[in-house]
Amino acid sequence: MKVNIKSWRGVAVWKWIAKDDNCGICRNAFDGCCTDCKMPGDECPLVWGQCSHCFHIHCIMKWLNSPQVVQLCPICRQDWKFKE
Amino acid sequence: MTLRPVEVDFNESWNRLRSTLESVILLNNVNKKEWNERFSDVYKMCVAKPNPYPEELYEETKKFIITHVQKLHSQICLRVQMGDNLLVNYYQEWLVYRDGIQFMDKLYMYLNNQHLKKMKLGDSELNYGYADTEDQKLEIGELGLSYWRKYMIERLSDDLVNLLLQAFENDRLGNPTNESVVQGVIESFVMVEAYKKKEKDLNLYREIFETPFLEATRKYYSREASKLLAQYDCSQYMEKVLQRLDSEILRSRKYLHVSSHSKVSEVCEEEMVAKHLDFLHAECQRMVVSESRKDLHNMFKLLKPIGPGIQHLVSEVQKHFTKIGLDAISNLSGDNIANSFVENLLEVYRKQRDLINDVFNSDQQFIGALDKACSYVINYRVNSKVPCRSAELLARYCDSLLKKTSKSVNEFEIDEKLRRSITIFKYIDDKDVFQKFYAKMLAKRLIHCQSVSMDSEESMINKLKQACGHEFTSKLHRMFTDIKISNDLNDSFSEWCKKEKQGLGGINFNIFVLQAGAWPLAQNLSSPFSMPHILEKSCCNFETFYNKTYHGRKLTFLHHLSTCEVKICFSKKTYLASMSTYYMAILLLFENTDQLSFKEIQMSTNLTEDLLSKHLSMLIDMKILTLDSVLLDNSTVNKSSSNEEGSSPTPMKYNLEPETQLNLNLNFVSKRTRFKILAVNQKEVTQHQEVEQTHSSVDEDRKLFLQAAVVRIMKARKAMKHNQLIQEVIDQAKNRFAPSIPMVKKCIEALIEKQYLERTSSQDEYSYIA
Repeated sequence: MKVNIKSWRGVAVWKWIAKDDNCGICRNAFDGCCTDCKMPGDECPLVWGQCSHCFHIHCIMKWLNSPQVVQLCPICRQDWKFKE
Repeated sequence: MTLRPVEVDFNESWNRLRSTLESVILLNNVNKKEWNERFSDVYKMCVAKPNPYPEELYEETKKFIITHVQKLHSQICLRVQMGDNLLVNYYQEWLVYRDGIQFMDKLYMYLNNQHLKKMKLGDSELNYGYADTEDQKLEIGELGLSYWRKYMIERLSDDLVNLLLQAFENDRLGNPTNESVVQGVIESFVMVEAYKKKEKDLNLYREIFETPFLEATRKYYSREASKLLAQYDCSQYMEKVLQRLDSEILRSRKYLHVSSHSKVSEVCEEEMVAKHLDFLHAECQRMVVSESRKDLHNMFKLLKPIGPGIQHLVSEVQKHFTKIGLDAISNLSGDNIANSFVENLLEVYRKQRDLINDVFNSDQQFIGALDKACSYVINYRVNSKVPCRSAELLARYCDSLLKKTSKSVNEFEIDEKLRRSITIFKYIDDKDVFQKFYAKMLAKRLIHCQSVSMDSEESMINKLKQACGHEFTSKLHRMFTDIKISNDLNDSFSEWCKKEKQGLGGINFNIFVLQAGAWPLAQNLSSPFSMPHILEKSCCNFETFYNKTYHGRKLTFLHHLSTCEVKICFSKKTYLASMSTYYMAILLLFENTDQLSFKEIQMSTNLTEDLLSKHLSMLIDMKILTLDSVLLDNSTVNKSSSNEEGSSPTPMKYNLEPETQLNLNLNFVSKRTRFKILAVNQKEVTQHQEVEQTHSSVDEDRKLFLQAAVVRIMKARKAMKHNQLIQEVIDQAKNRFAPSIPMVKKCIEALIEKQYLERTSSQDEYSYIA
């Protein structure tokens, strides 16, 4: 070996993968956070439904906890199930 | 003796009592038996059957006292006519009378307690003032004092006071005075009225003594001041005046009633200081500029009590502070402007703070002056078009402290320096500019592992948080936690690799995973790049691992920021070099050959032409690669080995064509066994441009901040006048920066265009559109 790599330190950034830029519930950017949080990122994560719509977890939980008979996706009105 | 009321012959009893009183009031000896008998005589007269005589007893006693006092008065007058000293005579008689009347008061205890106290007016009646106090019956002791006042003091007052004033004048000149006499006489003025509870009842003392005394004092010190002014210069004058004030205060403590003390010093200050303010003020500037501490301290002591007088000194001090502050930071040059800027300022600040503590007793007004001067100096712009550099310089200063250097530094020392830099930070108007610069530099330190210690980093962030609030530092905190999370992540990754039986090729593999929004990283700078195979698999593995750990996240590698440590084995000796990934990728290509063309390298690495040639130039500079045309001789190698530490690389000095052949320098030598290949600035960003970029991004942020503030305010208020709105916006922004009014106006305009606001029909008013 002419050069031998001892150690490597990489730098990477992450972003949410989402079809839209904004959360359909709070209308804030996915890169930002829901209205109740101060900092975007791990504290205010996104969740995806099986219908492929995605929201801030705080926003969809608020929606699902509101009194309603069946839990529907607020956008497409299909049954809301979390995507694994 | 019996307590039962019996019949009494008033005249007989009174005559007995009277002869005893004559001894009591002169403090002559009265034996115990006689005293007891007279005591019960008083009782008997008061309760006698069938007719009690308290009224008669009171009247007779009153007459007795009046006669006695009048007699004393004429005796004194007689002796004075024969040349005796009035003050001394009066004082002696007073001492006897004062005690005598006390004893008499005791003898009349029954009358006092049973008859007179009950007739006394209560406090409330006195307060509401419908009772005429002259009519009131007094206890015997009080009665005695009031007649002393009426028949003695009031008759002698003019002469007494004149003599007292002479005595004071003598005392001031340092001549011996009979202290106890002066004290006693003045005390008698107070005492004859002391039984009256209310403050305003010191009328006698005030009228006959205090007023003429203050007048005389005023005249004396007015003369004294002109005498001193003629004789001395300003600093001597102040000395003398302070001496005079001190001794006059002492004198008033010694002789006067407590209520007069402040009046005396007021009079003295007015005559010697307030009336000569112009003279004193004229000297202020000279003293401030020469920082003659003693004079300034004296000046402070003199001016402080007379309210507005100090203002002139304060403003002179502020001017002076501003001047030396500006001097300290103007014409800075050299490598380390940031360092000299901050340290010079801090030195000036410390000196002035000391001066204020020592000379001006840490007076609030002077601290305020220092604050104003500092904030003027720190936010001073030489040219209104150029943004103020203070925020940037301070951030650079912090960076220089927190960055690892070859010098070993004491962590405590760093912390202390950081703590002091907060002093300057607090004065900076453009805190957001500081934040931008600081975040950039912090990002660099964290990514390149250049921090001197994580503890110091954290404590600085906490200090900023304390000074400016949670929101100000939230991004900095975020960056900090990203680094911590990454460390955990790397641990779990290596465990995952073990489980999945994925090797890492013997490389110490480590990745910082950062959250895109929180880091001030310019991502557009990364160029297409193909990872060397040896690392590619590990990177892919990491991505798989990351996607399993976190859902819905897209990972992007920033290879221009990644670095590695490489062992160089192709030369005679082995070296350990740290370098960026791009260099490594280039060097790895030479594994099976010693010569490659520019084009071949570009094909394999996928780097842009521009970027690649910069990297290659650097490697040629370092003599790791050679060009065919450049002949190697050892002398140049040694000379240029200083380049390893190299200042700024000078890329593009080699004319690299696609066909240019590059050779691996198998004869590479370096003085050091460990060295670093400097990263290439991708876009040739000079410091100047970086500053400009930062300022323009700060401007963008400010606009958003101001617009958000306007919307918040208008949402709450619905409608608002223009000026009021601007004021509130400025208040909200105060903690981050000082917005210019045109900027606020522009933001309001923009919001009207975006239909958040509209103008109402009344002038200069906006309303919120829901």
